[in-house]
Amino acid sequence: MGETDDRVRIFPVETRFQQLARRPGGIPRDKALEQAQSKIDEAKPAFDDWLNQQLEALVGAVKRAQTASADAEWVKTADRYCRQLRDVGSTMDFELLTFIAGSLSEMLEAIIAGAECDMESIQCHIDALLLARQKSYRGVKPEQVPELISGLRRVVEQVSTLPP
Amino acid sequence: MVSPTINLRDTVILIADSSSYLSMLVHSILRGFGATKILEVRDSISVLQVLNNQKFDVLLFDTRLPPYGGLKLTHAIRRKVDNENRMMPILLMSSDTRETAIRRARDAGANMVIAKPISPASLYDRLSWVALTPRQFIDAPTYFGPDRRFKIEGYPNGVGRRKGDKMVEVAQESGPALAQGDIDNLFSAARMGKD
Repeated sequence: MGETDDRVRIFPVETRFQQLARRPGGIPRDKALEQAQSKIDEAKPAFDDWLNQQLEALVGAVKRAQTASADAEWVKTADRYCRQLRDVGSTMDFELLTFIAGSLSEMLEAIIAGAECDMESIQCHIDALLLARQKSYRGVKPEQVPELISGLRRVVEQVSTLPP
Repeated sequence: MVSPTINLRDTVILIADSSSYLSMLVHSILRGFGATKILEVRDSISVLQVLNNQKFDVLLFDTRLPPYGGLKLTHAIRRKVDNENRMMPILLMSSDTRETAIRRARDAGANMVIAKPISPASLYDRLSWVALTPRQFIDAPTYFGPDRRFKIEGYPNGVGRRKGDKMVEVAQESGPALAQGDIDNLFSAARMGKD
């Protein structure tokens, strides 16, 4: 083994997962992916409702930021909704939505880390999200809307710069 | 080339993510793969509770699982000597795919990192890799988990030396996000003895 440190132990492991997964009778990759896609498709009708709820909650969190009683927690709340949108968008064929939510999340996390909060840039992202949630944007990739994407990128680059 | 085939029937899988929707999607995908025993929890405290009462075959965590985060949770599971789940495969789901984030996941003891948003293909392939690729375990004073020998730099061909190896300093978060293929390369380097 070539080990010189007797405090280090290296040993082979065969987990129960490996034993079970190697059993005959498994589902071949192509068939498994096909079945998984069917399961995702079954979830799609409910996705629109979920998406609308998430966006409403995100818009609500941002609106609260503009009230006199706003506290710093709104950024974290908005970021949480954003990340949830980003994390499932592409799986549900809303790749553009994932991109925009990711961009907004990047900006919100920079604000949490101390960057200046620019509400106009946040609103710009929310407008883009409201556009991207429309069914006509299902299946649209970010590279198919280059002007929108480059605009958002510029906004994020300007806003996400942390103070020295 | 023959595609890998894995049998997930009766494997007990734990999904831990604060997003119920994402969790439901992963659950659905696993059902499509033939998994029949899947449990979902929403936070790392619940993970520790269920691990005390039940044995799992695969653990799937979000790296930002509240309140401790998936990395600390992975580390805690790996380090707990009397935990019968400590050698279970742990796959971390992460939307932060910068190289430093992936290295941290490796160093916590994760078997794999799966980039979010998750696709059925990426999940199936990573499960196949964990199932079909034997990987040694390391039990050392500062690490318990799958062999991550690639972390150690400075000896030829990645063979042998451990005592006195210099740890690689992890820089501040920077750099672009990695694609799933690049993430895999960081892990596959383990088997190649280089990084």
